[in-house]
Amino acid sequence: MSDLDRAIEQLRACRLIPESQVRELCYKARELLIEEGNVVSVDAPVTICGDIHGQFHDLMELFRVGGDVPDTNYLFMGDFVDRGFYSLESFLLLLCLKVRYPDRITLIRGNHESRQITTVYGFYDECIRKYGSANVWRYCCEVFDYLALGALVLGASSELEPTMSGGNDITQSTMPIDDGELETEVLNSRGEVTMSTYRPRQRSSSDVSTDSRNISPPRDISAAPGQTGAPTRTGAPGTGASGYGNGSAMTSRTGAVLCVHGGLSPLIDSVDKIRLIDRKQEVPHEGAMCDLLWSDPDEIEGWGLSPRGAGFLFGGDIVKQFNHLNGLSLVARAHQLVMEGYKEMFDGGIVTVWSAPNYCYRCGNVAAILELGEDARNGGTVARSNGEYGRSNGVVGADGVASTVVSPGRRYRVFEAAAQDTRGMPAKKPVADYFL
Amino acid sequence: MNPDGRSIRILAVLNSEEPHIFIDPRKKIQESQDVSAFLASKAYSDIVTFILQLNRAMFPAKLPDGTVQTWPLGTDAVQFSAPVRQLQRLLSKIEDIVQEVPPDTGPRRFGNISFRKWHEVLESRASSLLRECLPAELLDKRSPTGEGVTAEAELRAYFLGSWGSGQRLDYGTGHELSFLAFLGAIWKLNGFPESDFGVEERALVLGVIEPYLELVRLLIKTYTLEPAGSHGVWGLDDHSFVPFIFGSAQLSPAIDVADLTPEEGSLPDAPDTGAVVKPTVVERERKTNLYFSAIGFIYDVKKGPFWEHSPMLYDISGIRAGWGKINKGMIKMYNAEVLSKFPVVQHFPFGSLFSFERDPNAAAPPTTVHTTTGPQGRPVVPDAGPPSSSSARPSMDPGSKAPWATAGAGNRAPPPVGSTTAPWATGRHSGAPGAPSTIPDTSRLPPGSVASTRAPWANTQAPPPPPGDGGLTKAPWAK
Repeated sequence: MSDLDRAIEQLRACRLIPESQVRELCYKARELLIEEGNVVSVDAPVTICGDIHGQFHDLMELFRVGGDVPDTNYLFMGDFVDRGFYSLESFLLLLCLKVRYPDRITLIRGNHESRQITTVYGFYDECIRKYGSANVWRYCCEVFDYLALGALVLGASSELEPTMSGGNDITQSTMPIDDGELETEVLNSRGEVTMSTYRPRQRSSSDVSTDSRNISPPRDISAAPGQTGAPTRTGAPGTGASGYGNGSAMTSRTGAVLCVHGGLSPLIDSVDKIRLIDRKQEVPHEGAMCDLLWSDPDEIEGWGLSPRGAGFLFGGDIVKQFNHLNGLSLVARAHQLVMEGYKEMFDGGIVTVWSAPNYCYRCGNVAAILELGEDARNGGTVARSNGEYGRSNGVVGADGVASTVVSPGRRYRVFEAAAQDTRGMPAKKPVADYFL
Repeated sequence: MNPDGRSIRILAVLNSEEPHIFIDPRKKIQESQDVSAFLASKAYSDIVTFILQLNRAMFPAKLPDGTVQTWPLGTDAVQFSAPVRQLQRLLSKIEDIVQEVPPDTGPRRFGNISFRKWHEVLESRASSLLRECLPAELLDKRSPTGEGVTAEAELRAYFLGSWGSGQRLDYGTGHELSFLAFLGAIWKLNGFPESDFGVEERALVLGVIEPYLELVRLLIKTYTLEPAGSHGVWGLDDHSFVPFIFGSAQLSPAIDVADLTPEEGSLPDAPDTGAVVKPTVVERERKTNLYFSAIGFIYDVKKGPFWEHSPMLYDISGIRAGWGKINKGMIKMYNAEVLSKFPVVQHFPFGSLFSFERDPNAAAPPTTVHTTTGPQGRPVVPDAGPPSSSSARPSMDPGSKAPWATAGAGNRAPPPVGSTTAPWATGRHSGAPGAPSTIPDTSRLPPGSVASTRAPWANTQAPPPPPGDGGLTKAPWAK
């Protein structure tokens, strides 16, 4: 068993590894991360996770519900640290897994992966308390600077394989169509389906060009959406599920899914622009990199000021246009507590995934992870196109009919906070200076 | 904070013979350097005096007959004066608004949107509530020349600042401080009867401050208010601070009129400091003690092992030197983590009663990381050196001004429901790109929230202005 495997075993048991080992781990992680682009390409199948915030036992619950590494591919959208008691154990475990299984786990940066934020919101205190000095905090912050800013999930299937609920049919099926495609499915932590939505199966998609880039962006990129013949989306109310009711010739390929911690930026109109950022720095207070990690979607039009004091609010029109221009079917992001663990907005154009149940021991929320399956029709392989896949190229379908991307099938696994009664009481630590 | 000089310091009341010009309170702490001016101000000195005065009064008293008089919640030994009873009426009228404004049952992320309505109702009634519960001659005090405003304007500012943020749907120690200032302002206006030291002070703590804290807890639970600036498990408490000060005083050794407050030790039959981890003891003690009352609320709202969700209080519970020691530590900590923290005190408005003028007796401004720059500085460039010591935060370069933390433009953005706020975020009042900038804040208690991190460099809640006009801006590529 290698040192790394031993470290993984130790961290899985919620026991810290020695400082020297952390240093070595962080060095290796940096070597690995520096090779990644700002936007990492990830092939489906993959399980997308939101904020963790040092809730180690809940992270273990997440792995129990979602499958272990490396059996399941994971994409964590940042905010590993701060606020919770076990930011160190959580982040170091994820980092070990990244170094051990680099192709199986992707870590992108959240707004809390920052020197300034961690000194305010707890991770710095935790490092001092658990290691007695700021060394480990510094090693971790150096890793933060190398984390990717986003990921592009490619080759996700538009349709889910239905989950067998083992006779426990508690499904609220909103649209049990005979010939429908299973579009979304929500499962509880026991693996029981609690909700599913369908969309009408596409017809004759094969006689249209299978060129995945054959989608229709507006010719004039400044044109308002809606002038571009974008199809009207319909779907089960409340799910944000989308469906295409016109049945016209369209490709039924799913577009890529962009994953970022926060959201969009007024300075970023294409995924390629993200690639141009010099990311290896502390998160700036403004600018594109800051926005990607800090912004929030909101029920507004256009852009708005963020009450957070960093990043922006952006409305459904912004998401629609961004997805359209970039051939995306979905933006997945984290960053905001949602009581139900996930929340789709803007006709399913964006989803918030939150993976810290009963946040801060008191919020009473459930957590969720989002599984995207692989598109088997393509033989399960997707060209590693470094994000070229699904990108708009300004070409309208040959027959002049707008072909379009279809959102991927989405399986949400919802889970609750891990049981807490088995944790023994530790020795009290020396108190802060005020009390000496 | 330098507790207890030789004589007991008491917040001075205004001399009614001298003309006094009241000033509509305004925020003066615009950037983090202003905190050191605040720490040398008359307002700071008055706030500290008032808190220490209330604190001292809560220590058990040695009576002339050799017995000890304690001051538990609900004790008959503390009588409430008419002004104190009027303040209790005020609190109960405010509580009634909760019945009028039930929490919204629609979809929400965390903080309940109805709290905004609650706040609006409170604001619309603030003047009549104050009129009903405070004497007119106090509210209408004004300079004989008619200069300035009436005292009501100053009281109203602190009163309205005491109830969390309707916009951010959060509550924190800054709001708690505002309520203390409200009481302190009434004190300075001679709103309480003259009596022996401690009589009115104890009535304020037991009869007004604890009911205020209970009302705030009701608001927090009813509208799921987020903790302003929560550090998660790494802060003392999500919302409050003063109950830990006054509650530890209640359990400290008894003092004589002439005694200094003790450095350590406990009242003989006080619960063990370690009892905070025992739910049965907490249930018993919370009825009589402010510290345990606050601990009890933590048990009410948090699930999980106490040592894990409240490690700081857990560690403090291991202090062997007693409640007196804890009390001293709480006061030092309050000074460092509340009064010296930009994100907390930036919202405090200054008028004539709590004046931003320099206190001629103020010591040289403290310069430790705990008091001025706070724990964390501006972003440290990668590979920057380590913090100067294990407990010091990387501090910021005091000479550099950051161009980002400008006052934001517009005021149309909705509040951060369940989101992290940037500790550096600036005030949300109007301003254009290029408006006066502030240094990123460096403090540990930003007005963010549990569900939502705020940028440490933000003053209140405005972000760097988006390109173009303020308010809702369109992307450069959008028409």
